[in-house]
Amino acid sequence: MIDVVGFLVSWLTLLGIYSILALTLNFESGVSGVTNFGKVLFYGVGAYTAAALTVYLVLILNGFDVTKTPPYSVEGIVALGQLAGQNPALNLALFALSLVLAFLAAGLLGYLLSYPILRVGPAFVGFTLLSSGELMRIFLQHFEPVGASKGLMSIPGPFAWVPEPRARELAFLGVVLALLALTYVVLDRLVNSPLGRTLRAVREDEVAALCLGKHVPRLKATVLFIGSGFTGVAGALLAYYLTAVNPGMFVPAVTFNVWAMIILGGMGNLRGSLVGAALLTLFDRLLTFLTPQLGITVISPDYVRWFSVGLLIVALLLLRPQGLLPEEPVRTPALEELEVALRGGGSG
Amino acid sequence: MLPGYPYSIVNFLHYLFFYLLFSLPLTLSYRNTKVINFAHSNFITYGMYTAVFLHGLLGNTSLLAAAAAAFLVGGSMALLNNIAVFRPLERRGASPSMIMIASMGLWIMYNYLLYMLADVAHFFSRKNFVSYSKIAYSDVPELSIAGFTLSQSFVASMLAALGLVAALYLFLEKTRLGRAMRAVSDNPVLAEVSGIPRDTIVNLTWLIAGGVAAVGGAVWTCFSGTITPQSGDAMILQVFTVSFIGGLVSLLRTGLGALAISFIENVGIAALNTYLGVPTSFRPFLTFATLLTILIASPPLGAAGGLPYRFRRRRG
Amino acid sequence: MASILEVNSVSKRFGGVVALEEVTLSVPERGIVGLIGPNGSGKTTLFNVVTGFHVPDKGEVWFRNQGGMERIDGLNPNEVFAKGIVRTFQVPRLFKNLTVLENLLVTPWNQLGERPLAALRRGWEREERELARRAIELLRRFDLLPYANTRVSELSAAHIKLVETVRGLMTPARLYLLDEPAAGVEAGVAHRLFSLVRELREREGLTFFIVEHRIEILTRYVDYLYVLHNGKLLAEGKPEEVISDPRVVEAYIGGG
Repeated sequence: MIDVVGFLVSWLTLLGIYSILALTLNFESGVSGVTNFGKVLFYGVGAYTAAALTVYLVLILNGFDVTKTPPYSVEGIVALGQLAGQNPALNLALFALSLVLAFLAAGLLGYLLSYPILRVGPAFVGFTLLSSGELMRIFLQHFEPVGASKGLMSIPGPFAWVPEPRARELAFLGVVLALLALTYVVLDRLVNSPLGRTLRAVREDEVAALCLGKHVPRLKATVLFIGSGFTGVAGALLAYYLTAVNPGMFVPAVTFNVWAMIILGGMGNLRGSLVGAALLTLFDRLLTFLTPQLGITVISPDYVRWFSVGLLIVALLLLRPQGLLPEEPVRTPALEELEVALRGGGSG
Repeated sequence: MLPGYPYSIVNFLHYLFFYLLFSLPLTLSYRNTKVINFAHSNFITYGMYTAVFLHGLLGNTSLLAAAAAAFLVGGSMALLNNIAVFRPLERRGASPSMIMIASMGLWIMYNYLLYMLADVAHFFSRKNFVSYSKIAYSDVPELSIAGFTLSQSFVASMLAALGLVAALYLFLEKTRLGRAMRAVSDNPVLAEVSGIPRDTIVNLTWLIAGGVAAVGGAVWTCFSGTITPQSGDAMILQVFTVSFIGGLVSLLRTGLGALAISFIENVGIAALNTYLGVPTSFRPFLTFATLLTILIASPPLGAAGGLPYRFRRRRG
Repeated sequence: MASILEVNSVSKRFGGVVALEEVTLSVPERGIVGLIGPNGSGKTTLFNVVTGFHVPDKGEVWFRNQGGMERIDGLNPNEVFAKGIVRTFQVPRLFKNLTVLENLLVTPWNQLGERPLAALRRGWEREERELARRAIELLRRFDLLPYANTRVSELSAAHIKLVETVRGLMTPARLYLLDEPAAGVEAGVAHRLFSLVRELREREGLTFFIVEHRIEILTRYVDYLYVLHNGKLLAEGKPEEVISDPRVVEAYIGGG
């Protein structure tokens, strides 16, 4: 018997988180031309901020001495499991605080990292962000306070106190979808405004935009702040959803997966990112579901999956660079004015 | 006396040779083709695995044979990338960013294709190819100079790196084709007008760039303790930083970059370790700090794109 | 007439190569001034110094602001634009995947809706409508209205040159630096562009400083001509005098 509701809930939750990543990457790279190959850095910073904040505060506020029972020790993990469902107000407060701090931590990191890459060409931007992500992973692997290579486990979720598992999952799904909606509304307003138009101009030709008086460095820094901030929120959601974080979750492949989503959906089109995220996460879920049935043992299905992501990126760029939903003109009242003028011109 | 002497010095030279083998082709490929190729580390890894498969499946013990095969493998990969992906994209007028993203897609494909190949090879030979140990070759001598024994891999990488530098110099300075190649990198439009077929030059560049990086990878198999399908990726920070020091255009400054990064990563970290107790695992952070410093202090503008913007007001 | 732009003994070298040496020149307000010279004589470098791409090694650049002259060398390109200088490029640099209307609308400096918080909260629509009406008016005036919704990548070369010039009219800029406006277009189109320059000078009181290779076209429209050769000012004066100057003829034949 296949658990259809369970499948849908888990798929939609992951889809929600990935959609936030795809939307922000599309805003940064598709709209504004900042080739962010280090998406996973901001994702990881958000996840670790939320995870570390929650496990440490839960232990400290319950009278534990974290120097003796750190959250990554066996005693700490057991204690966290026992404390998780006891105080709903604490869980919810920590969740809200984590989301805010994850946004700020990742956003500020994005803002700061924009400084060295503001003036250099795309090769340097892409590479610097890519290696920043890898260095974060190396750092986390060696950083004992967040559990080094084992990471943090048993993170008390916001709804850990809800006894019924399905209700708990649905409540979390609701929060994820609400945050996705918030991200979409914010980015949609930014894209369909004079700011969005200017960002597209920067993407097309940053030197020409600078010559037209646009403060290109400040614009790029702003884009990275906003994009990374929401990415941090997505990371926090991931940490609570899986109730665990470890450095192995934040490999460059995650970034490329999101890239495949926005290229498939259409660069510069926010709705396209939702479509791309939906298709690729569905493909993932189906592959996980089908693999045991196929019984292939020579080649790991993981490899086939990642190979297909690379192939998809290359094939799309060659055959359908505009993606499924091509970019549309910026929607502002100027279009209405133009329509009036064109109609007036036709009748007169 | 330098800290960690003499090992830090031997390692410094050793890595210098490898960085020259890996980074010079990267700079060469960018300056002639204007494509920033993230799949560059695949050439290195596939070079390694050409040697690994030849050794593990066919029992080859000649490094020369392995290097020759690696050159063919790396060179044809690069050529294929250009013909199937980069050139069609350029023809369509895709932006440099898009071509870079395509190279990233290629990078993932090659990476996981290699994992699959290793799996298949494992299935047939029952040998572990996902983590392969160092190979001892029969055709490379160990040298003893003034009481020091220079390992096989030191001798091999030194010969390969010096040979590469000499060959590049002679080719670019002394041959007609080499001079044509320089003309293409200096001014593509002008070179086109003077009747040099740019396509030929670009293809040749890819063949050389992919081939040389793969030869470096083959030589690496007699140096590194374990070879995995990620071994090339593990060096991408260093390899790209070295080329960035050369601004992605100057071969001479790429050479200096190799010198600088190898020095920082071997002698520099040894000094920090001795005097300040910095753990040696801090090495990549030092390289990254160098990268950021270069991007801020002297951003490579011009040929590699960039914004004519100054954070502080300057007056002449 | 008072000058709007003054370049005072500007020198610029790249590595060991001298690009500009002690160049002094001035552009009068409401003038149409040409700048010619063989390839590599430093014309584009001079434009790059004036528009803030390069900082001169020596010398100053002054621009007339309300009231007096203001020093502008060393400013960033975006700051130079804000002072009132627009520049076009040898190879037009329009935003290819934006429509013609969007290319015009993106031009005005410091729009309310360009600020992130304002873009979020809205409230910029009124300004947007005003800008749109102005842009539409301009498009109508130059017969570009049918192309308003066309992406620039689909326009003809002549239209692209026209849009690049018209775009500047969305701003209160008073000085236009045109880098080879006639390059790559037919003679007829080039003449129409230069007529437009004349018209804009008469009707809007704009000033033009123009680099051009096609001297035979340029000399018919400019009031004054400068000649650069190997980074130095070789000659200046009325166009007909300058082009018959033996030193200029020599430079063009000798220097390619």
